[in-house]
Parts: sequence; C-alpha cells; structure tokens
Amino acid sequence: MRRVNVVAAALLLAGLVWALPALSQEDMKTVPNAAFGTPQRSAAVFQHDLHNEKAKLDDCGACHHGDDGGKPDPASPTPGQPCAECHPVDAKGKTPLMRAFHRQCVGCHHDSGKGPLTCGECHT
Amino acid sequence: MRELYEFAVGPMAWAAFGVFLIGSVIRLISMYSLARKKDGPFLSYMSWRFGLRSILNWLIPFNAQGWKENPLVCVTTFVFHLGLILVPLFLLGHVVLWDQYWGFSYPTLPEQAADIFTIAVIVACLVFAWRRATNRTLRFVTTGQDWLVLLIAFLPFLTGFLASQHVGPPLVMTTLHVLSGELMLMAIPFTRLSHMIFGLFSRAYMGSEFGGVRHAKDW
Ligand code: HEC
Ligand code: HEC
Ligand code: HEC
Ligand code: HEC
Repeated sequence: MRRVNVVAAALLLAGLVWALPALSQEDMKTVPNAAFGTPQRSAAVFQHDLHNEKAKLDDCGACHHGDDGGKPDPASPTPGQPCAECHPVDAKGKTPLMRAFHRQCVGCHHDSGKGPLTCGECHT
Repeated sequence: MRELYEFAVGPMAWAAFGVFLIGSVIRLISMYSLARKKDGPFLSYMSWRFGLRSILNWLIPFNAQGWKENPLVCVTTFVFHLGLILVPLFLLGHVVLWDQYWGFSYPTLPEQAADIFTIAVIVACLVFAWRRATNRTLRFVTTGQDWLVLLIAFLPFLTGFLASQHVGPPLVMTTLHVLSGELMLMAIPFTRLSHMIFGLFSRAYMGSEFGGVRHAKDW
C-alpha cells in the first residue's frame, strides 16, 4: 500500500513539474492581435524581453507611453496596459491601433538602423 | 541591402512619383499642342457623345469587332488591365504603407482576390509574350521596346507575388519589388506604357472622327 502511495505521489509530482511551465505565463513571442477581430496577417514576431535586451531598451516608456492631455508621454510609462486601450482599431483623427504599432516599431527600426522593416520580416 | 531598401522607399520613391506625374503632364501638354498644330480644325470635332460612346463600347468585353475575332486576346487584355489597375491601388500591403507614412487609408481587396488578380496578370504577361514570339504578323510589327515594356510591367507583379508568398529573403524581395515598381512608374510617360495617359483621349478622338465625320462605328 505504502509503495503504491509513493508511486502515486511521484507521478503527481512529475505531472506537476511537466504542467507548471504551461500554467505559468509564457513569455511573449508575438504581439497580441486579438483586438483586430479578424487579423489579415500572422501576429508580428516579438520576443518582448529578448527584444528589449538586444535593443538595449531599459526605459519601458519608450514604447509604453502615457497620455499627457492628448499627447504621448514617455515620462509616465504604462507597462502592461494594452496599446488598444488608448488606440482603438478605428480612431478618427487620432492614431489607430495598426498605425500606432507600425509607426512605433518600424519607425524605431528605421531611425536606429537595426531591426526589421518589411512586412514579411515581422508577419512571418 | 538595408541601405538600398531605405533608398528605394525614400528618395527614389519621391523621384519615381515626381518623374511619373511631371512627365505625364509634360507629355499631355506637348501632345495637345502637337494636335493643335497638326490637326487643329479637327479638335473642334471632338465630341463628348461620340467620344464616350466609343470608350464605353470598347470597355465591354467581346463587343468590339476586334475582340470578337480574337477571344484569347480579348480575355487576356481585360484581365491584364483590370489586375494592373486594381492590385497596385487596392492591395492591403500598399494601403498599409499609405497609412503608416501619410496617415490615411481606404478599403482594400480581400487578400485572396489580390492573389488571384496578381497571378492572372503574371499569366497574361506570359500569354502576351508567347503570342509575340509565335504569331507571325505580330512578330513582324514587334520592336525591342515592346519586349522591354512587357518586362517592365511583368517584374513588379512577379517580385510582389514572391515577396507576399515569403519566397526568398523578405528584405531582398521587397527591395526588388519596390525598385521594379518605381521603374514602371517612371517608364509610363516615356514608353508605350503612355497609353495609360493617352488611351482614353485617343479613343475619344477616334470615336469623334468615326461618329461625327464618317458616321460610322469604330468598334
Ligand atoms: C516591425 C514589424 C512590422 C512590420 C515591418 C510590419 N508590421 Fe504589420 N503589424 C505589426 C504589429 C506589431 C502589428 C499589431 C499586432 C500584430 O499583428 O501582431 C501589426 C499589425 C498589422 C495589421 C493589422 C492586423 C491584421 O493582421 O489584420 C496589418 C493588416 C498589417 N500589420 C500589415 C502589414 C503590412 C502589409 C506590412 C508591410 C507593408 C507590415 N504590416 C509591416 C508589426 C509590423
Ligand atoms: C520595444 C517596445 C517595448 C518596450 C521597450 C517595452 N515593451 Fe512591454 N510590450 C510591448 C508591446 C508591443 C506589448 C503588447 C501590447 C499590447 O498587447 O497591446 C507589450 C506588453 C507588455 C506587458 C503585457 C504582456 C505580458 O507579457 O504580460 C507587460 C507586463 C510589459 N509589456 C511590460 C514592460 C516593461 C516592464 C517594460 C520595461 C522594462 C517594457 N514592457 C518595455 C512593447 C514594449
Ligand atoms: C495611456 C494611453 C496610451 C497608451 C497605453 C498607449 N498610447 Fe500611444 N498615444 C497616446 C496618445 C494620447 C497619443 C497622441 C494622440 C494620438 O496620436 O492618438 C499617442 C500617440 C501614439 C503614436 C503616434 C506618435 C506620433 O508622433 O505619430 C504612436 C506611434 C503610439 N502612440 C504608439 C503606441 C503603442 C505601440 C502603444 C503600446 C505599446 C501605445 N501607443 C500605448 C496614448 C497612449
Ligand atoms: C525604440 C526602438 C525600437 C522599437 C520601438 C522597436 N524595436 Fe524592434 N528592434 C530594435 C533594435 C535596435 C533591434 C535590433 C536588435 C539587435 O541588435 O539585434 C530590433 C530588432 C527587432 C527584431 C529582430 C529581433 C532579432 O532577434 O533579430 C524584431 C522581430 C523586432 N525588432 C520587432 C519589433 C516590433 C514588433 C516592435 C513593435 C512592437 C519593435 N520591434 C519595436 C529597436 C526597436
């Protein structure tokens, strides 16, 4: 009986160890595109932490800016807040979601001379 | 490659659109003054009614006599021109760039429809080439420029399709695509491709002559 319990406990433990990585939050590998409803392209590749490490971006506000009376404000960062909350897909007279991503991502790659520029490099 | 791409979507894009627009205006003005000098009296015969009538009739597939006599050419020509106009203007990949750089956008073709039109244009180019190579009459009137112009129209569609299907390195394919598109834009005013600018005018001119002077159909 005791031996059966040990085996069961061992199995349970093994199962937990196997399941844990799946339960814990996975690292971001692509930029979420659910806000677009029916996306036309594959989600853009973006390994959040690795990207920012390689690109030497310590300042979260470089991307996660805040809202300063209708202007983007890098000095009051909003990490974790989805861009879509301030940039709806249809934003008349303001920066809509797709343009927000393209201008931020491609804009910096253009300025810094590094990182992908063409559709197929991000939407693989 | 990165520098070449930046050049292609930067200064080169300005140059290409500039050459296309300014070149087209210059060609239109000089053609108009040439027509006035050589065929001045006739310009007064230009008629909206006969001009539009002719254009309209030529726009209906299998309506004109020439189309009826050559169904393959008719279908190929219509499909080719439809794709040639629709795909560059209404492709998602192009409108995304208007949106990114200029902040405006408009409805686009469904991606599948764009793929089908693109393949159709590529096939149409091959049909045109095949006819030029095999049809004796056509071979007789074909010049080097006809081949060049066919190649110039073919390349943006081929490279664009390959880039969109992720064939080859995206940056290289996209650079080739942008450059070949710019080549085509700049070639429009100065090659046979100028029928894009003059086509409607020359059709209206023919239509006016046949309708108003000879009292006959020109289709
Ligand atoms: C630097 C990376 C990058 C490049 C280059 C890029 N995109 Fe995007 N794109 C994104 C991100 C990030 C999003 C937002 C979320 C997502 O799709 O993952 C996005 C969103 C989109 C969307 C809206 C969502 C959808 O799938 O319908 C479209 C359409 C799109 N991109 C098309 C293009 C086209 C066409 C090009 C080339 C002209 C292009 N993108 C180039 C990163 C990029
Ligand atoms: C290069 C731009 C960029 C930088 C720099 C950046 N992020 Fe992000 N981050 C993003 C994008 C894009 C998303 C996805 C946003 C969305 O879903 O709308 C995101 C999402 C997140 C999320 C939510 C998704 C998740 O993985 O749980 C958190 C939390 C986050 N970032 C934290 C940070 C922190 C903290 C920093 C600074 C150390 C930082 N980010 C720097 C671009 C960036
Ligand atoms: C707290 C709200 C807020 C959040 C979250 C936010 N933004 Fe913004 N963003 C703004 C405001 C306000 C503006 C200025 C008004 C506008 O253009 O819509 C702006 C402007 C922009 C612009 C235009 C800048 C320019 O000069 O053209 C880009 C690009 C942009 N945001 C990208 C992003 C991206 C990408 C994210 C997510 C990583 C994000 N924003 C998250 C509020 C926000
Ligand atoms: C503030 C500047 C900046 C912003 C904003 C930015 N990037 Fe980058 N990105 C870089 C730099 C710099 C590199 C090159 C890193 C290196 O040296 O490999 C890069 C590289 C990449 C790469 C290639 C990664 C690799 O492993 O080679 C991808 C993919 C990428 N970026 C996607 C994105 C997307 C998607 C966004 C928008 C959500 C974005 N980037 C926003 C600066 C930026």
